[in-house]
Amino acid sequence: MEIFSAILHAAPGLLDLGVIVGMIVGTAVGIAVGALPGLSATMGIAVLIPLTFTMEPLVALGMIAGIYNGSMYGGSIPAILLRIPGTPAGIATVFDGHEMARQGKARLALDISLVSSSLGSAVSAVALLLLAPPLALIALKFSPANYFWLAVFGMTTIAIMLAGNPAKGILSACFGLCLGIVGIDPISGNERFTFGTVEFLSGIHIVVLLTGLYAIPPAIDLMLGRNSIEAGNIDLGEKSTGFRWASLIPTWVRASGIGLVVGLIPALGGNIAALLAWQEERRYSKNKENWGKGEPAGLAAPECANNADTAATLIPALTLGIPGNAVAAVVLGALLVHGLRPGPELFSANADITYGFMLTMLVTSGLMFLIGKLGARAYVNVLRVPRQLLGPIILALTVVGVYAIHNSIFEVALMLCFGLIGFAMERMEIPTAPAVLAVILGPIAEENLRRALLISGDDFSYLLRGPISIVLALLVLGALVSPWLPKLKASFGRTARESEEGQ
Amino acid sequence: MTKTVALAATVGLASFAGTAAFAEYPEQPIEMIVAYSAGGGTDTAARTLAPFIEKYLGDGASISVINRPGAGGEIGFTELSQAEPDGYTIGFINTPNILTIPISRDTRYTMEDIQAVANVVYDPGAFNVLPDADFTTLEALVAHAKENPGEVTYGTSGVGGDDHLAALQFSRAAGIEMRHVPFSGAADVRAAALGGHIDMAVLNISEAIELVEQGELVSLGQMGEERWDGAPDVPTFKEQGFDVVMGSDRGFGAPAGIPQEALDALQQAIAQTVEDPEFLDAAAKQMLPLNYRDSAEFQAYLEHLGANLQEIWNETPWVE
Repeated sequence: MEIFSAILHAAPGLLDLGVIVGMIVGTAVGIAVGALPGLSATMGIAVLIPLTFTMEPLVALGMIAGIYNGSMYGGSIPAILLRIPGTPAGIATVFDGHEMARQGKARLALDISLVSSSLGSAVSAVALLLLAPPLALIALKFSPANYFWLAVFGMTTIAIMLAGNPAKGILSACFGLCLGIVGIDPISGNERFTFGTVEFLSGIHIVVLLTGLYAIPPAIDLMLGRNSIEAGNIDLGEKSTGFRWASLIPTWVRASGIGLVVGLIPALGGNIAALLAWQEERRYSKNKENWGKGEPAGLAAPECANNADTAATLIPALTLGIPGNAVAAVVLGALLVHGLRPGPELFSANADITYGFMLTMLVTSGLMFLIGKLGARAYVNVLRVPRQLLGPIILALTVVGVYAIHNSIFEVALMLCFGLIGFAMERMEIPTAPAVLAVILGPIAEENLRRALLISGDDFSYLLRGPISIVLALLVLGALVSPWLPKLKASFGRTARESEEGQ
Repeated sequence: MTKTVALAATVGLASFAGTAAFAEYPEQPIEMIVAYSAGGGTDTAARTLAPFIEKYLGDGASISVINRPGAGGEIGFTELSQAEPDGYTIGFINTPNILTIPISRDTRYTMEDIQAVANVVYDPGAFNVLPDADFTTLEALVAHAKENPGEVTYGTSGVGGDDHLAALQFSRAAGIEMRHVPFSGAADVRAAALGGHIDMAVLNISEAIELVEQGELVSLGQMGEERWDGAPDVPTFKEQGFDVVMGSDRGFGAPAGIPQEALDALQQAIAQTVEDPEFLDAAAKQMLPLNYRDSAEFQAYLEHLGANLQEIWNETPWVE
């Protein structure tokens, strides 16, 4: 099998000391970032990408893999101990996890959460390794018209489903579309909205935008004293003994499956995977009345699902260049910074780095278990870090990092402007994820629409030729009308409100 | 012409005068501006060259590569042109971009501001099609395009790049009309051609040769003066009766007015690098078609190519 030889070929790259350190540091930082309410995986990676700019690609990507996996687990620590989900994906963890802690089983709850998270991540990484390369070959079949529809589908779903209010989601997406126009138009070669400056010629760098929108608002929040929590004295309870881990196996299997599927669908994220897994698992459970009252399976299901979603989310991003949600967009940004372009060639020309990256997703899920197990006590202390210190630290990191991308002060200023815009958007409850996705997907949609029309000689019927285009066009239509279908609204409306901001 | 002779003379003298005089240069680290992002083809080539040049400059010389990507190279080229001409800032320059950017838009640099140091790579353009395409020779392409005017679609890695200019030049020489579909990189062009979404992929030969060797694509021809060693079976356009020579050079430039001693030392180090077996090995692995030109030759070449491109622009501007 070609895939396995590629994996074997890439594996020794992970033995590099730098890569190992990168993965350990990434995972440890990821758990801490996830554990701090208000900081998300997206934010953690956004702050980190520019700082990894000078590193070897695999070191940087290993670190990013660690942060991504680690933060998904980290979110469950405050969710269990304090009833505050560290990340949106930790919402469902609160239901049974915090109950267990109240019953004095905090240590067991943390263990279940850790084991479930690690398993979920590992399953997801294996799926990524095995599914992405064959799916990438299908990408060749994608014509410009197909890419156009796919990008439009990604934008519509995220704009409509992510926001409680579709109008706000669409507003945010339109903001992103406008930003995406800036720069030299790749089809005609003309300058658009560059205001005669060189800085805007190559458009707005995605990392500048991501860092601004995702890292600055939480930093401002922290400095304004929001997000403050009282950690107080946290009792971890007794060491867990006599728990029948085997009883959780069916739960893990089902929850991983849910996480994987949800990860593949654009606009959905770990939070939705976790909620769905919790609901589904409850249907299968024999003692439904114990759910929400400290049922171990009720903790294992969402924890496993929100981690099973991580690597799966990257599949469309790596193969088609179409990120399904904000965190995939950030990881895609990291890949681009390191010169890796999504598509079939990612798996041939850059096979060692690409497979290496996918392997780090797997290895960091194991590291997460080790670090989580050894560092449980230390991570509880993360919750006691003074908030006033964190804000300035994040600000400093983003400024240094963004400056490092192009050694450009202009981009630092631009990033800070986006930060203020992002802060304002959050205050007005306008989600920022549609804007970010639109900056990436907007140009893909536009360029491919125009390419399709160039190829067909301005024949619009070319856009609906072939089954892929027709199916995608119908999906777009479905996404657009979904807010007016009361049934769909009922099922998506609730998760959507809780999931403002994606990851 | 006199300028070329004068330069050639100084180069000759310099290499004759011995190394004692240049032992002073470099006294401090040299910054090399690369106008494209880290990890790309240009960057990889630059980073492959740097350690060898350090070695031949001797005296513990150090070169740090600085990526200043953006605006198709304009940002990096501008920075190079505005740097202190002291020999401690040099840059990697690419044709045709460095020449076409000032032709097609207002820029903050002109070619007057840049001194050619030496050229290293010349990657000829090539037309490539699927093996089962309607045409697999240039002659058949011309016949097909004449029968179906404006129907043949070709993909390039961007408006005004060497691929696009190559196709424009060919269309002019053959008297045909084709439809341009720009993509955002060679990888996308290859994918679109393999998927059958465009009729022809215009790529640099080094970007196509692997697929050609695997039988996935057929190359109709390469646009060098001669066949590149890495693609000995692909005929040139000239051999097939079309006087089209186009490709992408990658070489070294410096801000105009750098000290002669620095220019000579750099030139010499680069000349020694392209003879180094270890470098040749690395270049072959990276599919870099080498074509060394010294400062005077490279300068003259740039002037000639620039005039040619201006002519194409005057007749068929690639940006409307």
